[in-house]
Order: sequence, then C-alpha cells, then structure tokens
Amino acid sequence: MSSIITDISQEAISGIALGSIYALIALGFTLIYKATEVVNFAQGELMMVGAYVNFFFVTQFISSAGEPSLWIFFIALIGSVIFAVAFGWILDFVINRPLKDEPIFSVIMATISLSIILRAIVAMIAGPMSLLPISPFGQNVIKIGGIVISMLDIFIIGSAILLVIIFYYFFNKTRWGIAMQATSEDPIAAQLMGIPVNKVHAMVWIFSAIVATISGILLAPRMSLLDTSMGFLGLKAFPAAVLGGFGSIGGAIVGGIILGIIETVSMGTLSFHFEWIKEINDIIVWIVLIAVLMVKPDGLFGVEKVKKV
Amino acid sequence: MKGRYEDENLNWIPLLIGFVFLLPFFLQFATYSYKYYLFVLNMAGIYIILTVGLDLLSGYTGLISLGHAAFLAIGAYTSAILVDQAGIPFFLSLIISPLIAGLFGFVIGFPALRITGMYLGLTTMGFGFIVKRLIISLREWTHGAGGLDVSSPVLFGYTIKSDWDNYYLIFTCVIIAVVLGRRLAKSKIGRAFMAIRDSEQAAEASGINLAKYKMLAFFISGLFAGFAGVLFAHTNHFISTDHFDMLLSIYFIIMVLVGGAGSIYGAVLGTLFIVLLDNLYVPMMEDWIHSFLNTNAGDIQLLIFGLIMFLFIIFQPMGLYGMWLKVRIYWKIFPFNPRKRFT
Repeated sequence: MSSIITDISQEAISGIALGSIYALIALGFTLIYKATEVVNFAQGELMMVGAYVNFFFVTQFISSAGEPSLWIFFIALIGSVIFAVAFGWILDFVINRPLKDEPIFSVIMATISLSIILRAIVAMIAGPMSLLPISPFGQNVIKIGGIVISMLDIFIIGSAILLVIIFYYFFNKTRWGIAMQATSEDPIAAQLMGIPVNKVHAMVWIFSAIVATISGILLAPRMSLLDTSMGFLGLKAFPAAVLGGFGSIGGAIVGGIILGIIETVSMGTLSFHFEWIKEINDIIVWIVLIAVLMVKPDGLFGVEKVKKV
Repeated sequence: MKGRYEDENLNWIPLLIGFVFLLPFFLQFATYSYKYYLFVLNMAGIYIILTVGLDLLSGYTGLISLGHAAFLAIGAYTSAILVDQAGIPFFLSLIISPLIAGLFGFVIGFPALRITGMYLGLTTMGFGFIVKRLIISLREWTHGAGGLDVSSPVLFGYTIKSDWDNYYLIFTCVIIAVVLGRRLAKSKIGRAFMAIRDSEQAAEASGINLAKYKMLAFFISGLFAGFAGVLFAHTNHFISTDHFDMLLSIYFIIMVLVGGAGSIYGAVLGTLFIVLLDNLYVPMMEDWIHSFLNTNAGDIQLLIFGLIMFLFIIFQPMGLYGMWLKVRIYWKIFPFNPRKRFT
C-alpha cells in the first residue's frame, strides 16, 4: 500500500512540474484575454517558436564555445526573450489591431490560422526531423525519502513560481500593471483617462510571447523531443484555464497544476491498477473540460458575468 | 403573401444541375486523367454536404464547432458497422446513420445551452478528441486504429463501384442537401437560427425557444455531417481515425468562412475552392516552390491554407459569396456607383 502512495506522490510532483508549464501557457493567454478579449489559440505555437529559437541559440553557442555550460543556457534564454519581445510586438500589429472590433468567431479563426501558419513556417525552416533539445541539468536528480525528483522539474516549478510572483508584483504594484488592469476593465474609459490603450495592448502581447517562450524553453528538455506537434500541447492549457475560471490569473495557475497532476497520475499508477483508465488517459483533460463547463462554466475562481443588452 | 423564393432568380439552377451531370463526360473528353478529377470532385461533394450543415450551425446560428470531423467519423463508422457487420441494406443505413450522428449532435448541444463563443469551440474540440479515442477503444467493431475496410454501396440491386458511379451518387445527394439547406435557411427554423445568431436576448424576447433551436441546430448539423460520413465510408472503401483529425475540422470551418458564413451557396463555393486548391493547384505550386526551396509538401499546403484563411478574415470577412454579391450590386447600379464604396 505504501508503495502506491510513494508512486502517486512521485507522479504528483512530476505532475506539478508539467502543470506549471500548463499554468504558464494558460497564464499567457489569460493575459491576452483579460486585456484585449482575444482568445489566442496560437499560444501553443508561440511556445513552440520560443523553444525552437532557444534551441537554435543553444546549439549555435555550444558549437562556438565548445562545451555546454550553464552560462550558455542563460545567454540563450536572454536571446530568446529578446526575440519574444520582437515577436509579440509584431503579433500585436498583425493579429490584435486588425481584429479589434470583429466578432469572436473571426478572432478565434484568425488565431487558429496564425497557429497553422506558424507551424508550417517552423516546419519549413527547421525541417521535418525532430530535434533533440539539451537539458541544462543533464540527468541530475534529487532524492527525498523514496521520491526521486529531477533537477529539471525543480527548476521548472521554481521558475513558474518566480514568474507568477513577478507578474503579481507587476500587475498590482506598478504603474503599467495598473494601466493594464484598467484597460481590461473598460478600454474606452481607460483611453479617456489618458492610458495609451494601444501601447498597453502591445505590451500584453509582448508579455504573453515572453511567457510562452519561457514555457517552451522549459517544456522542450522535459519532453526530450522537439518537433512542431509541440504546439498541440498549448491546446491542453485551455482546459486548465477554463478549470481555473477563464480570465483569472490565479485560476490559470491553480487549474494548470491540478490538470497536470490529474494527467500524470492517471497515466501512471492509476492506469496500472484500472484497465479502463488506460483507454482514456490521453483525453482526460478534455473530459475534465466538458465536465467543468457543464457543471460550473465559470470555473473555480471565475466571476459570473452578467451580459447587458 | 409573397412566395418564399419570389424575389430570387432561380432559372440558372436547372442549367447548373445539367452541367453537374454532364461534367464527367466533358472531363473524359478533355483530359486523360479524368479519373483523378472525378475523385477530387467526389471528395468535394462529400465535404459540401458537411459544410452545408456546418454553415447552418456556424454561419446561421452562430455556434462554433471545432469538432465537426467527429460527426463525419460517427456517420462513417456507424454505416460501415451497420452495413458490413449487421447486414443492414445500404439504403436503410443512409437514413439510420445520419440520425445517429444527429443524436450525437443533440448530446453536444446540451452544453451549448449554457456556453457560447470560445467555450463552445473548446467543448466541440474536446468532443472531437473524445470521439476519436472512443472509436479506437471500441476495437471489436472498429478494429481500433488499424482502420476498417468498407464494402461498396448497393442501391436497388446495383453495386456502385467506379468513381463514375460514385460521382452520380454523391452529387445527387449534394443537390438534395443544398436544396434542403436552402429551404431550411428560409423557413421559420432558419429565421429563428439567424435571430439567435444576431442576439440571443432579442430572440428569446421574441418568443424563440433558445434551448429547442440550439439543440435543433446541432441535430441538423450532425445529420448533414453523418450523411456525408456514410458517403465517405462507402465511396472511400477504407476509413481509419487518421481521416478524422482536428485539422480536418478546422479545414471545414475554413471552407465555410472562405465561402462566406451565413449563406448556403457560400458554403458550396468555399468547399469547392478549398478542395480544388488543395488537390489541383497546390501540387502545381509545389513543383515551382520545390525548385528553390527544399521542404515537405504538407507544410507548403498548411502555409497556403493558413494564409488564405487569415487574409480572408482580415480583408474579406464576407467570403467568396460576399465578393460575388458586391460584384453583382456593382453592375446592377453600374453608372451610378458611389465612389469609395466598393473597395
């Protein structure tokens, strides 16, 4: 019996790491949704682009420096984030501005088409082969009791917590963060108060691209394979955001972690003990999504919206 | 009281039907590879039936479905199992299988009563994944991920085998589907759909039963998709879950959007445009692109699709049919066109 508990807690920790990545992706589109009401179905592809760019930097630096070291990964990370800034800024021009007053249907389809375009472009540039990303921590692990935790997972959880703290501070304490809150509350009133709404929107897209890039950088070595299907993982972050209540930053984090745990535990121990779970473990997030939407469409932390006629 | 189609010129429709039936002869006369063209046209026909139903759901009622390939799959697998394993005649399966797909539409309509917009897109997308997984899990009937061979359809003692026969079977069904779609769109049901799309509150205030009509929209849409699925299974002779992935659902939405959401003719135009582009023009362009860029063929196709959809949404949200309407109005009032109106 105790071995089952060890197994499950082992998987739960790995689930928290996976869930942190889901949470970061969900955080990315929650930011955009809150500020601009655009639902970004291309978030997973932004993540994929970030992972590819980072891979490119890492291999370039390693080939010029000779051997991998933590510094190289750090510099590559900064390079990728700078790329993400430019990328998010371009996306604001391409996606956000033309679609300002379009119905939600067109917006969804536009971001889906963006995701298709990005996937195709990346596949054309990088080639059809999967790449092997290099983990900065190798295979190092830490043992606590009977539980083995890889350094990478600890790093993932740590950086997720760090990012959340940074965002919390930014949103609630800084001038720009409060401007963003005001914009998401009511863009027109914000504009009248002298907030440069366009600039704020551009900034939101840039932040979202940065978060996506970082989550891609974290996810790629964990999956130990990098190819264009990574973008589909971004779709799995939607159930996470819905579970937490769409549009709530705390909800995105909690929802992501809960889904990560559910997914890992059901794929591991539970599917050994219950035959039928093996059949459904790759769609379990979608079952959770539909169940949440049927029972409590506003999620765990969402606020019920009353539509005015 | 005015008749339903009184202000519309319908004289060209018999001509079009005649053209559709003579097209294979023309193709045979004009090209050596007419069988390939017939094959492409058959696929377009099947997809037209589905997109007409999807247009009724997304274009008219304004409910997004990102999992319509699932209904196609349900129709296809149901019919394959009914005909080949239960021994039910094809003709009956052509009626039963769409009804079953429609019932699934009914089921997915339940969450649609509470959720709209992006949430509905996610739910239907999840539905697509779940159906695909269920089909793989029901190994006894569906042979899992390995796929299923399907027999040729037998109608009134005649076995439909060649592409040529399939063409006539499919396009008879296409004409029925388009006429049905048009009648539905112009009927009380269609007007209720449009009212729901334009404003749910206003529709409800005018006495439209939201629950009933939303469920009905999903049911009808599932019905059309199931119908397309039956034809798909029996003319393709082989189905597997790989045929029905999420990308296909997105292609269907692209077809509706490119054609012009909210018009049946638009759905037909859009489907023809995308399928012909996919199968005839992209391969041509590929040769040209390969001459200076060494890439995977599928990626070029994806890129072109993404770009087309993106450009249509930004610059021509009314789609092909909207473009045609603009041109028609332009010529109707030709010398007196206000400047800057038709840009």
